[in-house]
Amino acid sequence: MDDDVLVGEYLSRLDAAAETLSPDRRAELVGEVRAHIHVALTETGSSDETTVRNILERLGSPEEIVAGEADQMQTPYVGAHGPAPGGVSRGSQWGAVEIIALVLLGLAWPAMFLPFGLIWWVALGFVGLLLSWASGIWSVRQKVLTTIVVVSLYASVVAFLLAGSTPAGAPVEHAPIVVPGSEEQPAPSE
Amino acid sequence: MRSMVGGETRNPLTELRRGVLEYCVLAAFRKRELYAYEIVRLLSDAGGLVTSEGTIYPLLSRLRRDGLAQTTWRESEAGPPRRYYRLTNEGQRALDAFVRDWTRFRDAVDELLARTTDRGVSDG
Repeated sequence: MDDDVLVGEYLSRLDAAAETLSPDRRAELVGEVRAHIHVALTETGSSDETTVRNILERLGSPEEIVAGEADQMQTPYVGAHGPAPGGVSRGSQWGAVEIIALVLLGLAWPAMFLPFGLIWWVALGFVGLLLSWASGIWSVRQKVLTTIVVVSLYASVVAFLLAGSTPAGAPVEHAPIVVPGSEEQPAPSE
Repeated sequence: MRSMVGGETRNPLTELRRGVLEYCVLAAFRKRELYAYEIVRLLSDAGGLVTSEGTIYPLLSRLRRDGLAQTTWRESEAGPPRRYYRLTNEGQRALDAFVRDWTRFRDAVDELLARTTDRGVSDG
């Protein structure tokens, strides 16, 4: 079998396995492994099938490499003796997912006044919560807390609306308190 | 991600390697900057440190992300540009702390093994 074909097959297997990664990282990883093979071939000076097979075997299977990515996601560095003073602590960094989640959770409330407002309100809140659960930075405790806060805010508004439809009345000044508070609540970042 | 994880044949070396490898990677480019292939070669040549060379790449990616390593692209005489790795200040601190801890740990294990071996001989 042609050695270029072997390398090509290996790289496309890697690319397929890396489907679960972010598009940027996926392309980067495939590029890194491609460069590795290129340098290894240049170094050995031959590119016969045995050489290529040896290089690929030493790399490990594409699936193994991608599993390594997942492995690394689970072990963020937290300093040998806690976070370094003045250093960047991972917990305080917010990525795009976290920011978008908060923006959606906040937008859900003014969106109530759009046409089909209730649908927007529920949909944005739902997606916001989903994204906050997708966060690789927030801890499970923070996510649970966020979910409890958001769900109870929603529940109290629904309860308020239901109570409002009965003549017996409900605490009318409850709603203005809930709405501004909601934009800060889902951020238990410490 | 071996099947042995969780099974009764858990290999202590696998666990050790997993915990220690990232510091070996940091140590690889503490003196001078290296590109990825050189790092892999260095670790691979130190027998038994790496089983699958490809898994170094996810590790390098995390070291960049965690701010322990930083990189510079440089032209190479042969082929495409290469990404050279060097330690950040935080990476240097992490490595120093590890070296201290590791030395203590290694000495403690060695000492315990030596002492228990002696006793075993004298008792038996």
